Amino acid sequence: MTAAGPGSRRSANRRWLRLTAIVAEREIRQRVRSRAFAVSTIVLLLVVAAGVTIPAIVAHNAKPQRVGIVGGQAAAMTEIVTEAGHLTGTAVTVVREPSVAAAGAALRSGRLDVVLVDDREVVVKQVSVTGSGGSGGGLPAAIADVAGLSRLLGQLPPGASARGVTLPVRGLTPPAAGLSRRLTGLFTVVLVWILISAYGSQIAMGVGEEKANRIVEVILASVRPIQLLVGKVAGIGILALAQAALMVATFLGLGAAVGSSLVHGAAPGIVITGAVFLVLGYAFYCTAFAAAGSLVSRQSDVGTVILPVQIPLIIAYALSYTVIYANGANAFYHVLGFLPPTAPVAMPVLYAAGDVPAWQAAVSAALVAVGTVWMARTAATIYGRSILRTGSRVRLRQVLARDAGG
Amino acid sequence: MTATPATAGPEVASREVSLELIGLTRRFGSVVALDGLTFSVPPGEVFGFLGPNGAGKTTAMRAIFGVVALEAGQVRWRGRPVTEEDRHRFGYMPEERGLYPSMQILDQLEYLGRLHDMTAPAARAAARGWIGRLGLAGRESAKLEALSHGNQQRVQLAAALMHDPELLVLDEPFAGLDPGGVDDMTAILAERARAGVTVLFSSHQLDLVEHVCEAVAIIHRGRVVAQGAVAGLERGARSRLAVRVAGDPAGGWARRLDPRVATVERVDADGTVLLVLAPDADSQRVLDAARAAGAVEHFSFATRRLSEVFREVTGEDA
Repeated sequence: MTAAGPGSRRSANRRWLRLTAIVAEREIRQRVRSRAFAVSTIVLLLVVAAGVTIPAIVAHNAKPQRVGIVGGQAAAMTEIVTEAGHLTGTAVTVVREPSVAAAGAALRSGRLDVVLVDDREVVVKQVSVTGSGGSGGGLPAAIADVAGLSRLLGQLPPGASARGVTLPVRGLTPPAAGLSRRLTGLFTVVLVWILISAYGSQIAMGVGEEKANRIVEVILASVRPIQLLVGKVAGIGILALAQAALMVATFLGLGAAVGSSLVHGAAPGIVITGAVFLVLGYAFYCTAFAAAGSLVSRQSDVGTVILPVQIPLIIAYALSYTVIYANGANAFYHVLGFLPPTAPVAMPVLYAAGDVPAWQAAVSAALVAVGTVWMARTAATIYGRSILRTGSRVRLRQVLARDAGG
Repeated sequence: MTATPATAGPEVASREVSLELIGLTRRFGSVVALDGLTFSVPPGEVFGFLGPNGAGKTTAMRAIFGVVALEAGQVRWRGRPVTEEDRHRFGYMPEERGLYPSMQILDQLEYLGRLHDMTAPAARAAARGWIGRLGLAGRESAKLEALSHGNQQRVQLAAALMHDPELLVLDEPFAGLDPGGVDDMTAILAERARAGVTVLFSSHQLDLVEHVCEAVAIIHRGRVVAQGAVAGLERGARSRLAVRVAGDPAGGWARRLDPRVATVERVDADGTVLLVLAPDADSQRVLDAARAAGAVEHFSFATRRLSEVFREVTGEDA
């Protein structure tokens, strides 16, 4: 319709962006001002803060650790264990065990938490890879340090350096690959899930509101449906990301401050994977939620139409707990990790649990990106065709069956 | 339903036009909403758009803004097809009112102004101006839902006027307004038209339309069935006379008139005879005949009410 010179096209593009930005700005401004936003931000931050600090506090006030001692001088070994307890802030109870075998049996049955074998080694049920995530926090390592040092002190002249004298810490069962990694993965998944479903339903509600109140007719007299759609999901998306960033910053900051084992597990790879899939997941779902919202004629119907959109997310989210708490994922969950609707939740879990290498996460991300393009196109079509339709709820089949002239 | 639109005189064609709807066609399933709808609106005039429910008025107005797709036809503005830039300079008040219920009215108007290419400060200033003009001063930070129905309507009008549009399209702007609101609306529409704005509005309140509009188009089943200046439509294609002769309540004198001069359309209860003058006939011959029959108590050219015209061309009550 307009003259097709490059200059006019550029100015048309600028205008397109400017109007879209105005729509996005309204979304942000209206939400930031609302009490609901302030309350939800505070509640989410409190949940994150509690999630980080409470385990750390609980670990510090852990139930008294039962430490078995085998062989050697009981008095000296009791002193070592008590000292290590002081160092780590853990209450300890010392139990004399007749033999290494008996102590091992006690460890397995859970009657003991740590065993110090004479001057030779420290035995625990399972060694933590990160050194501090295992049972009793840093107690086994502290006992190993103190015992090693005290053995050396008897032999060295004053002032000599005492390095590398720690006793070996042996686990009875193979180490579990990073429980803390898994917990960080869980944190990521909860974040992805909360943000996508919370902000997704906000998108659907917002679209439903605009349609039910017929304001779309006023707005669409000056902007195109696609601008309204893009402005809305971009505005809400920026808020979602800001809230996510705040939560991650709280997680990392508070975690570092209280020395949470969750944060030690927050390998950059997991955080990056989580961030990538959060953005991709939002991008994939936001347009679908908007399309769902455009089908209703009353705002109260929004809940019904968004349920089908949420189902893949719900499935992946529910199953992610089994992956995190059991060791490893089954084949079905692996498949979910590569399907665009479920990957945003499933892939960060798989990656955090160490079940997939980085390149597979990248492949999955690429698949989601492709799926997002397809979803955005489909959703924009549905939205454009149904946003101005009044009367009863628009059926999806009706909308898709119509030719482009509609 | 008349097949050919009744137009009132050749002056329509010679007038300058700003908005033209040409052959607009749109079906919704088996329902024909627009059936080759064609009419034009001159600038600086308040133009009424009339028709029974379901005649296609709202669809035609939506078509002007491109919010409904057309199967055929074209909307033209100032002699060329309407563009998106043009539409940014149009103001629209849809039939189903719609604004954000929980948004403050000043913010809301500013937002809508910016969507019509205004800068934020200009939009804010205009919003304050219209809020004051429409008697809502002091309510700037009120949420829309906190206002009465009539005041929400005023905000809706302000939304259409914010960016000083060149074309104002109002779908049933008088619906739900109290008399004070009707007066404000009428004054604003007239003022805008005087400022050179093209004003198109639809209404069912024909008495009001008669009073507010210079010209109208009446549509029925998606087609224009009558259009032109209000005065011309009310006069009709042929002149009519209302004559009352004392002592002849049945109007017997009139029935004796030569049909080449005038024919009786009806006789009212008070004896007033409504006559349709034959083309080129001299009204004074009717007066002569009346005076010959008795004392003439009343003699005038009769006009029809717009509602009568409406009923005639649509076959329906207004």
